[in-house]
Formats: sequence, C-alpha cells, structure tokens
Amino acid sequence: MRDITTNNELMATIALAALQDVEDPEIGLNIVDLGLIYQLDFDEQEKKIYCTMTLTTQFCPMGGSIRANCRHRLENAFPGFEIIVALQFHPPWNASRISAEGRKFLEG
Amino acid sequence: MFPSGNHTDPAKTTPAKLVLPFYLYAALSFLTAAILLLISVKDFTGHFFNPHILAITHIMALGWCTMIILGASHQLVPVIIEGSLYSPVLAMSSFVLSAIGIPLLVYGFYQFNMGWPAKLGGILIVLAVLSYAVNLGLSISKSGKEAVQSSFILSASLWLLITTIVGLLLVYNFTIPLLQRNSVEYLSFHAHIGIVGWFLLLVIGVGSRLIPMFLISKYQQYGILWWIFGLVNGGLLAFAGFFLYNGAAYLFFIPLLMILAGLFLFIYYCYQAYRERIRKKVDDPMKLSLVSILLLALPALVMIVLLGMLTGMQQAPSKLVMAYGFLVFFGWLTAIILGMTFKTLPFIIWNKVYHRLLGKVKAPNPRELFNDKIVQAMLYCFFAGLGLFFMGILWESVLLLRLGGILLLVTAILYNWNVLYLLNHKAQS
Repeated sequence: MRDITTNNELMATIALAALQDVEDPEIGLNIVDLGLIYQLDFDEQEKKIYCTMTLTTQFCPMGGSIRANCRHRLENAFPGFEIIVALQFHPPWNASRISAEGRKFLEG
Repeated sequence: MFPSGNHTDPAKTTPAKLVLPFYLYAALSFLTAAILLLISVKDFTGHFFNPHILAITHIMALGWCTMIILGASHQLVPVIIEGSLYSPVLAMSSFVLSAIGIPLLVYGFYQFNMGWPAKLGGILIVLAVLSYAVNLGLSISKSGKEAVQSSFILSASLWLLITTIVGLLLVYNFTIPLLQRNSVEYLSFHAHIGIVGWFLLLVIGVGSRLIPMFLISKYQQYGILWWIFGLVNGGLLAFAGFFLYNGAAYLFFIPLLMILAGLFLFIYYCYQAYRERIRKKVDDPMKLSLVSILLLALPALVMIVLLGMLTGMQQAPSKLVMAYGFLVFFGWLTAIILGMTFKTLPFIIWNKVYHRLLGKVKAPNPRELFNDKIVQAMLYCFFAGLGLFFMGILWESVLLLRLGGILLLVTAILYNWNVLYLLNHKAQS
C-alpha cells in the first residue's frame, strides 16, 4: 500500500482491490496505482466507510464520474455499509504518487 | 470518520448542454466552408480581396475555429483557472448571439453587400464576444488564483474583442466613412490581431496547461510562459502602434521577431514537456496537436517572405497572402481542432451519458465512442488536401485546387460523421 493511511489494513486491502477497477478514463490507469486514494477509514460498528481521495486536477471534468464509480465499487465490495467519498486537494496530486506498477503501465 | 478538515466539495464543472451546441455548430461550419471552398476554387487564382474568399475566411475564423474554441474553453476554463465558470447564462448568450451573427455577416460578405445583415451580424458577434470576455474575467476573478494561463486566455479574449470591434468598424466604413483609410488597408491589422492576439495566445494558454497534463509531464517551468506572454503581447502592441502611425515596412520586423521568439519558446516548452513525460505512449489526437504546433512554422515562414518583399518596396503577391491565410485557418488551426475534438468531445459525451449509470451498465472507454479508422482516414485526406490546395494557390492551378478542395471536403464530411456519431451516442443496456 503506497501513501495511503488507514485504520484497518485488512479491510483497506479489500477496498483497494475493489478500487483497482475504477479507471481514470483519460489516462486508462486505475485510481489506486494513479495515487488518487489518500485515506480509507472503517467504522465497523456504525457500518460506515470513509474514503478520502483526490483528482489529478481539482476541476477535472471527469471528477464526478470517478467519485461516483468509487462509491459504487465500495458499495459492491462492502454490502450494507454506507460509503462516504470525500475529495481533498491538499496536498495536491502530483506524478510522484503514481505507483511502480502505474509507471510501468504508462511507460509501456 | 474523516480525520482532517481539508475536504472540498466536488468541483462544479460546466454542463455538457452548454458546450455541445458549440461543437455541432463548428462542425457544420467546417462543412459549409469546405463546400464553398470547392465551388470557389477559381477565385483562389485571383486577388485575395474577393467576396467568396472573405466569406470562407470568416466562416473558418468565426464559425469553425472561434466557435469550437469558445465551446471547448467553457469546458476547459475551470480546469485551467481552477475555478467554476461564472455564468452559464453568459455562456449560452455567447453561443446564441454568435450563432445568429455569423451567418448574417458571412451572407453580407458572400453577396458583398455591407447592408443591414452584415452590420447586424457584426454587432451580434461583438456582443457574443463581450459576453464571453465578461464571463471569463468574472470566472478568473472569482477563482482568486493567479495563474499565467489565466492571463493568456484573458488577454486572448480581449484581443478577440478588439478584433471584432475593428471588424465591425470596417463593415460600417464601407458605407459610412469612419476611418482615415479605406477598409481594405485595415485588413492586415484586423487579421493579425485576430490570428496572433486571439488564436495564438489562446492556443499557448490552453496548450501550456493541457499538454503537460495529458502527457503527465514532470516539466513545470511557468517562468518561460511569462516571457512568452510578454513577447507576444508586446509584439502585438508594437505591431498596432506601427500600423496605426504608418511605420516603415522594416519596422514591422520588430513585432514579427518578438512574436516568433515567443512562438519558439512555446515550441521549446512543449518539447521539454514531451521529453519529461511519464506517459510514454502518446495517442493520435495528442500527436496531431503536437504536430499542429510545428505546422505554425509554415505560415510564419510565408510571413517572413512577405515582409521581406514589402521591405524591398515590392508589392506583396496576392497568392502569397492567400497561401498565408489558408495555412493559418485550414492548416494550423484546423489541425489543432481535428486533434483536440477527439481528445475532448468523447469525454464530454461519456460524462453526460454514463455519469449516472456507472456501476449499473458496463461503460465503454471514451475512446470507443468514435470510429478511430474514420479519424485516420480523415487525417490522410486532410494532410493531402492541405498540401494540394496550398500548391494550387502557389502555382495558380485550378486542377490542384480542385483536387485539394475535394479532399478537404471529404475531411469535413468524415469529421462531421464522427461528431454526429458521438453526439448521438446512447448507453448500451
């Protein structure tokens, strides 16, 4: 897991596997390897999942779709949980957040 | 729960219904211009000041290039200035006013009748540009961010406003003497503040943000962009001063060299962004956009030759002036638009169609929403048509002009087919 904070490593692993299916449509790379996920927190008692993510640029026209897709994927991976996806732009995204796998994909 | 209070509400992006009419209007204008080009090929063996050539030039400059740039910029300005568009109403009014004004003005040119249709058309176009410039200025002011790109697009919109006001004065000047000289003598002034002030500044402003973003480049040297901004705007002001105060022909080399220096710095900026890109595989629309920046070298070269002739007290040959205008509108600007349409429109349509359906239906990749083979065929026709028509102008060959005109018409038909195919895309159940 790269630059992502969480309060539950096990559930975060499942969540990140689900989020690997969400692509940035322009780049064609999934948002986990792109480094858009900042934080995943789980409240098992309240059955809530908090996902903090960013976008490559704050006014990305695809931002709404990417965020909605995240929520759908997490809802499917964690039935019965309420999913809250929030955007954060501090610190802003930069290319150093792309994972080694992501770089390999982009360089291929 | 969320541990920090840094969360931001989702950014308000421009709705597709505000942007798509511009794309459709531009596509139909390109088709209209290509049809008129083909039926007017003989006019391109004569003098450039010709009603049909004036009409085609204005369909290309306003209906095709400006309309699509206005539409795309309503979508992209929030990305560039990092703030929402101030007013959707002003955006829509800029469309409606120009959509009515452009055909009226073009009709006036085609008939060479500077009566009420041309005058009303000109007024509506000025009001449309005013709506756009005010909307842009207020959007930038509201965003509160001082980015060099905002300065580029704001100054470009002001040069466009000046260009259209000068254009309107020229239309009036044909029937009511308002200016010191006759309208034909102001054409190069009107054309160059439009080409350099509006198109070049806007392309640099938007390109300097989008090219590194699409390439995922590590290169971020905004200092060089301020130099380009100063050189191009300074060159334009010098050009305006020399023109209005009847400067000697050799003096015009000063603004030309300043603008060329700005252009070469921009090419250097794009090259560095390309060299330091993380995304190694560059898609075809992006390649075309990069090539189109180099394409600007051709009209720049013709301009140097023209100015050299004027300095040597020779009359500038009409065919060189025509070749210059043709390379700007059908070459450089059309190449940029052909590339950027398929880099922006599929994403706008994808967002519109699939935004609420994600997770419910299998959404295709935005690149699958148009026919890539038709884009390839369109590009072959475009480059062949451009080359043949250009040679036809230089050699005054009707045959080459006709062949080039046919290929450019095929380009416009293929472009329109793909744009309509995209606009009619429905989600697969």
